[in-house]
This record gives sequence, structure tokens and C-alpha cells, in this order.
Amino acid sequence: MTARRTGVFVCHCGTNIAATVDVKRVAVEMGQEEGVVFSKDYVYMCSDPGQSSVIKAIQDNQLDGVVISCCTPTLHEKTFRDVSTEAGLNPFRCEIANIREQCAWVHSNRDEATEKALKITTSAIRRVQNNEALTPIGVPVTRRAMVIGGGIAGIQASLDLANAGLDVVLVEKQPTLGGHMLQLSETFPTLDCSQCILSPKMVEVSKNKKIKLLTDAEVTEVSGFVGNFKVKVKQKAQYVDPELCKLCDDCTHVCPVVVPNEYDQGLTGRRAIFIPYAQAIPASFNLDEKSCLGLNPVVCGKCADVCEAQAINYDVKPKTYEEDVGAIVVATGFDLYGLENMGEYGMGKYEDVLDGLAFERLCSASGATGGHVLRPSDHKEPKEVVFIQCAGSRDPENHCAYCSKICCMYTAKHAMLYKHHVPDGQAYIFYIDIRSGGKGYEEFVQRGMEKDGTVYLRGRVSKVFEKDGKIKVMGVDTLAGRTIEIDADMVVLALAMQPSKGTADVAKTLKIGRDKDGFLAEAHPKLRPVESVTAGIFLAGAAQGPKDIPETVCQASAAAAKVIQLLSKEQLEHSPAVANVRLSHCTGCEMCVDACPYEAISLTGGGKAYVNEVLCEGCGTCQATCLRAAIDVKNITQLQIFDMINASIGG
Amino acid sequence: MRFGKLKQKTGIVHINKLWCKGCGFCVKYCPTGVLELSKEYNHKGYHPPYVKHADQCRLCKFCEVICPEFTIYVTDEEEENHSA
Repeated sequence: MTARRTGVFVCHCGTNIAATVDVKRVAVEMGQEEGVVFSKDYVYMCSDPGQSSVIKAIQDNQLDGVVISCCTPTLHEKTFRDVSTEAGLNPFRCEIANIREQCAWVHSNRDEATEKALKITTSAIRRVQNNEALTPIGVPVTRRAMVIGGGIAGIQASLDLANAGLDVVLVEKQPTLGGHMLQLSETFPTLDCSQCILSPKMVEVSKNKKIKLLTDAEVTEVSGFVGNFKVKVKQKAQYVDPELCKLCDDCTHVCPVVVPNEYDQGLTGRRAIFIPYAQAIPASFNLDEKSCLGLNPVVCGKCADVCEAQAINYDVKPKTYEEDVGAIVVATGFDLYGLENMGEYGMGKYEDVLDGLAFERLCSASGATGGHVLRPSDHKEPKEVVFIQCAGSRDPENHCAYCSKICCMYTAKHAMLYKHHVPDGQAYIFYIDIRSGGKGYEEFVQRGMEKDGTVYLRGRVSKVFEKDGKIKVMGVDTLAGRTIEIDADMVVLALAMQPSKGTADVAKTLKIGRDKDGFLAEAHPKLRPVESVTAGIFLAGAAQGPKDIPETVCQASAAAAKVIQLLSKEQLEHSPAVANVRLSHCTGCEMCVDACPYEAISLTGGGKAYVNEVLCEGCGTCQATCLRAAIDVKNITQLQIFDMINASIGG
Repeated sequence: MRFGKLKQKTGIVHINKLWCKGCGFCVKYCPTGVLELSKEYNHKGYHPPYVKHADQCRLCKFCEVICPEFTIYVTDEEEENHSA
């Protein structure tokens, strides 16, 4: 079926296109093309008058195909297909010719750019003239969501989703919810206790019947598509039954193994059987398989012997859950850059050179020292503490190029907390710039300087080393133009934020992209900041980029809102531009079955290829693979592609 | 472990080389890999084990249990120091 009443609409996009492409010439020449009965140009085709003119032209000229020469189809394909529908034309009879991103923006020679714009538009005309009228495929929706990561982002997203009436599966890798926020002592700029504001939310999650919580668990496999994902979650063996555990603490007294406590950043120890912290959710002890003497009751088995509730069973195996969900929120959080990477600051060799999280544990009432700031080496109160900002951030030569965003604020907070704990102490902060954008943030930094006497020194620290029980800090004050040496009792590094260790694996499993620094990539940096490039998968929190708590909560709620929006529909629409098998030509060689990246093609009983239209994304890989031209993607068939190539090379 | 009361208990492994028949059970079954067979021979011609990673001993005494020749026993380091 060939359409022979085509309309062409060429957009100036202000001067975006018109500055480089002779738009009027394109409109005039396209009007001469075979089958084109209408052609015009307009300043902003996507504006309301622009859209109205398209509708009017379709109706007045009984157009049966439309080409809009404008920006990329990712921006306005939907706009103009909706316009076509409104005018009574099948939306799949409307095609976009991208003469902005693929032409005007990348060229400077006006004549050559105009020639190219002509070719791009002609090729789209050839395509649209052979387009079929298609109807979108309706796909059922699973009204259930999964949240990966149980930090503040995951907690907030889960609660929002559950409160909207959706069932939620919350998957957390660690034995407890809470993430890094649980380790913080107080939070800027209000200095309210982190656990006091987080614990109620954690309890809310555990009490909410709509939320299925899987701790100690990781996503291992994801298949399906938006609205209908199938996710496999592997949960580590739960040697201690959380239902039976009475939190009596008898087991830890007999356990012979002591290892560094991750929750206290290694400042204290824990047993191989332990509870991460008193208010952990789920409220239960955990057996750490790696440090336990071997789960063989003959070797040790002391914890099981003393457990009155008989909650400990060494024979439990890991469990795999299969969950059907309609949408996924990824909130896998961050990790610190790591002291061992900081060669100039001692690589973690010196006990009194700490990272920011360890300092939080020293300030916290539930921390290693019960809320006293003490030196790890000799347990004395430090009288001079040096805080170094941008440790690992903003250093493209050696470390991370980006700004970790929260360090200026938390370092100001650290200095303030230190002064509250040690009133006769002195805090120094080395900084490059103070970046305190945020409500009440600048005032907070000023308060630290004025009220708590924090001394800010603008400059980098070149070296930190231990000498006579002190930590010698060699730096420079670029404002005073002099070098500085401080004999400090303690040094705290504001290390860069990195995507958490599991983020790369999660991204690979979910088939979502990451940016150059390893953070999860959003679909559009400004207009789609909570969506991943894969439909139905959303992002929240520091896994997407460095963020403080308010921003993280914000993004988590935004992601939840997006999920609610998606899952509130009766059914989803799937593009009908999918692969189609010409049964007379198919020999059942199975090459397309192997080539399909979406596992959408299978062989039927009759030995012919069969396309599951719901799974097919219309990528065309099968079309390129088939030796007998037996498989074609609708509206971009091989014949259409030949026509388009011919048009492009001027044939 | 820089703060807190938790300290790792370590045991001292004693080996009576004369009785050993070099079966290697203690080496194989020690959960923290403290022992290794030595190159030397005892008077029976076997290779007895020796303590390779003394600090790794967690005092589980499994070597004591599994040794068929009653050759190994473990004592508590703290108690040893206390009585000495």
C-alpha cells in the first residue's frame, strides 16, 4: 500500500535549525517531491499555532502521510503523532526527519547543511509513503513494585508506594535496613539526630503489610519489560530465624570470633554472630558466614547450644525468590572512596587519620566511644583536629574529577560537633571552595566559623604523616600566601562519594546505563532525572549522583510518584512497530532466535519463527540477521530502508 | 579493634610431635588454617604439623577433637599468661 498524499512540515526551531539550514528552500524543494501535495515551513512547529497548522493541513488536503522535519524524535515524535491522531490520521503515518541534532547542530556550512537536510527529509518521505497504519499493542500491568536498596532512598520510595496502595518488595543487601544514614550522628543543618529521624521510618517499613522486606538479599536476574518484570532475588542463608530470635544476646557471649564492626567503620569489634545495631530491622541477630568458624556444630556450635529460643540452624540454605513486578526503583546508594586510595594522606596506615563516617561514629551516642571524641591510637581527647575537604574529589589527575557535593556541609558539621564535644579544642578545615547551596546551609557554615571558631584555611594539603605521636599536616594557605604546618592530634578526610560496590552489577543485571564515574545514568539530565534509559526502571538517591539527605528523599518520592503513575493504568501501550515473519520465506534456521536481544523470537511447532510482539522492541537485529528476508520490522522494512538509502545518496 | 571491650581470644596450640602419624586431619579441618605439615620428620618417619599462623587460632579445639593420636591440645593464651 503506497501513500501518495504526503505533507512536509519544516521547522526553523527559532534559529536552532534556520541559522544553518535554508529552511525555506527545504520546504519549497520538498513540495516538488513525488507524492508530496503539501509543504510548508514555520518558526516553531511544536508551538500551539504550529500544531494547529499541521492539523488543518492534514484535514484540508486529506493527507495520508506526514513528515515533520525538526528536532530528534525523542523530543517531539509523540507530540506530532498525537497531532496526527487529532487530525484523524493514523499516528504511525507520521515520521520525524531529524534535521537539528543530526544536521544543523553538527554543521557550519549552510549550503552543505541544507543539502543534507534535503536528503534527510526526502528519505523520511520515502519511508512514510510505505508506512502501514498500526494500532498500539495493549499490555497488561503487574501492580507491584520492587525497590532495590534499603537506605533512606529505598525506605522513602517503599513507604510512598505502599501508602499509595501498591505492593512493594524491598531488597537490601545488608542484614538491616538503614544504609549509611544509620551511621550518622547528627544531620546538617538542623543537627537533629540521624537515628531519631530514621528509626521510625524503618519501623514503619517493617510494620507495613504491603511491604515485603528481603534483607541479606541481592537481585540476580531480571527479565521481562515495563509493566511485567520477572525478578530473581537470592537471599543468603538465614541461619538465625528472625521470627524466633528473642534478642537475648546470649549467643554473642559464647562466640569465639571477633572481627571489625562495619557499622562502626572498624572502630569496634563484633562477633561472628551479631546484631548490626540495637534498632536493626528486621530485629534479629545474624550469623556472618565468612567469619564463623565453619557452621559445623562439631567445630564450634557454641551459639546454637546456648540459644534458648532454638533460633539457630546451621543447615539452612540460601533461598531464591521469584517476584513479578511492574516497575523497579534502584536506590543502591554510595560508598566512600576509600582511605587506601589516598597515598598523600597515609593510605589508611595511620590510626588517627579517619574518614568522615568513622568520625560520625565517634560523635554518635550509639557509636564506638559512646559519644566521646577520642583518638583511636591512645584513646586521648584530641585538642587539635584538621579536617581536609575534597579528599579524592575534584582531582581529575589522581582521583575523582567530580565534586561530591555534601562534603563542605558535613565537614562544617563535623567541626561544629567536635567543638561541642571538646569545647577547648581547635578545628581547622582545609578547603578549595565552600559550596553551601541549600536552604539554611550557608548560615550553618557561618555559624561554625563565628560561634564555634572553626578556622577555615583555603588550600590543599600536600602531605600528612605521623611524627612523635602527632599527625603532621603540611599545607598551604593560598589566601595568606604561606605554607602551613599543623601538629594535629587527629585528621578527618572528607572522602569522595562513589557509587556503592554493587551498583555496577545491579546496572548490568537490569540493563541500565552508568555514567563516566560509574553512577547510574538518568534518561535526561534535566527533564527525566529519576528515570533510567530502560522503561519501567527508576533511580533514587546517591546511586545516581552525590546527594544529601533532603535531595535523596526528594528523588525517592519522585521515583515513587513515577511508579504510581505507571502502575495506575489499566494496561500499557507497546509500540506496534515490531518484527513480522513472512511465513512463506521462513526456513526455521533459528538465526533470528539467537540474535534477538530481547528473547522475543521462538520457533513454533511448525518450524517457523514466531515473534512475541509484547517482548519485541523493534530493534531490527533479526531483520539484519535473516538470510532470506523473511523477517521485517513494521514501518522500517527492508524495502523502506532501500528507499531511504537511495534517497540519501541522491538516487 | 581500637575501641570497645571485645578482644579476640587466641589459643596456643601444643603439638606432641613424637605421637604424630602425619594424617593431616588437623591441617585440613582447622577452620582458620592455623596449621601446616612441616618438612621435618619425627622419629617414626612422619611429617608432624607446625603452627604457621598462631594469631589465627580461635580456641575452638577442633584439632584436639579430630586428632586420632591425641597429639594436639590447645590452651587459652590469657590463662597461660595469668598463671605464668
